[in-house]
Amino acid sequence: MSNPFQVPSAEARGPRPGLAVYPLPGRRGVRAAGEVGLTTRAIWEGVLEQAVREGEGVYHLELSDVTFVDVAGAGALAAAAGRLRDGRRFVVRRPPAALRRTLDLLWPDQEGIEVSAS
Amino acid sequence: MTAEVADPFGPLDPFVHPAFFYRDEQEYLDVTVPFVRDGLAAGEPVAVAVPGKNLALVREALGDDAAAVRLLDMREAGRNPGRIIPGVLRAFADAQPAGRRVRIVGEPVWAGRSAAEYPACAQHEALINAAFRGSTTTILCPYDTRDLPEHVLADAHATHPVVIPEGARTARDSAAYAPGDVVDRYNEPLDPVAHALAFSFDAESLSHARHVAVGEASRLGLTGVKRDDLALAMAELTTNSVVHGGGTGVLRVWSEDGHVVCEVRDAGRLADVLVGRRPVPRDQRGGRGMLLVNLIADLVRVHRGDSGTTVRCWFAL
Repeated sequence: MSNPFQVPSAEARGPRPGLAVYPLPGRRGVRAAGEVGLTTRAIWEGVLEQAVREGEGVYHLELSDVTFVDVAGAGALAAAAGRLRDGRRFVVRRPPAALRRTLDLLWPDQEGIEVSAS
Repeated sequence: MTAEVADPFGPLDPFVHPAFFYRDEQEYLDVTVPFVRDGLAAGEPVAVAVPGKNLALVREALGDDAAAVRLLDMREAGRNPGRIIPGVLRAFADAQPAGRRVRIVGEPVWAGRSAAEYPACAQHEALINAAFRGSTTTILCPYDTRDLPEHVLADAHATHPVVIPEGARTARDSAAYAPGDVVDRYNEPLDPVAHALAFSFDAESLSHARHVAVGEASRLGLTGVKRDDLALAMAELTTNSVVHGGGTGVLRVWSEDGHVVCEVRDAGRLADVLVGRRPVPRDQRGGRGMLLVNLIADLVRVHRGDSGTTVRCWFAL
């Protein structure tokens, strides 16, 4: 750190994290792994769009392997939940702290989202 | 990005925004308590958001009437001045029935405000005029003349269209009213901190940038919810740089006076003076990043320059 204003470029960065999505055996919904951010938003929105269009009742989002969801990702979930009708809902299992926090602050009392810690 | 077409500091009516200068507890109560009681008598929703010590005075003076008033400790709810408009004032006003006047006592400036906080306080007071103009709201802002410096009291005359002088009960026009000038004057440069960890990011390295920032914040001692909040703030600010700020930016993280401070610097221009201070309608997609940052950080400072924008956030250790 000889030059205090030196800004390291990111040559040592690891592989760009993606968002992988797998069907949930025996239940309607998906298990996701990775991060929801600018570069993976389209994948996430695709999952939510399909969830809104298809089926009935509960749609499970198993997020224990999702490490981060940004505000736009939380907003996409809130918007999708807002389009559900007839008592349908998302059950979001073990979401990262960021998603919980953002939903609490920006979409309190959003219908159609049930967060499950277990 | 919303373009501001009209002058954000245009005519206020029917919004009323007096600064009120007090020398002691009696003067404080002589103005604030009738203000609250008149509101209650008229059936108006009333909130009092002032520092804890003054809140206790008002609560005691109101007696049983205190139960009908929303009471908030501004040291907590308004620690970050950028949080006050969306998280305190509009959060209360917007929840009330339309058309009825809403009354709020809001005291965002006190003697313990730090040198880093004060510019954000002055800008906040100025921006209240832009945020509430045209709304049926009255926000009364007390200023303690015993221990606030002269320049703070002078700024209050520039950020409030009317003032209630020491010992007076009624308001007069403030000749010094110039809220846009205050916003510009406190748009102070935020020079890079030499000893900070710095990292240059683009779309490909957004995730890595967040990990670098969180790693450094952890090393500096930030834990738990505060560290999660820093991660959220850095994600929003770096994503804004990629989407709106020219595609790249530089983040920095360091510690200072019991806080972890993080900032993002990019080539973008922020035109909207109220960015991050408006509640966003439920059905609107996007546009909540800066709002969230204001809600979670202990302090947010912004510098809007000709060649770019810097947003700096403080998280208490």
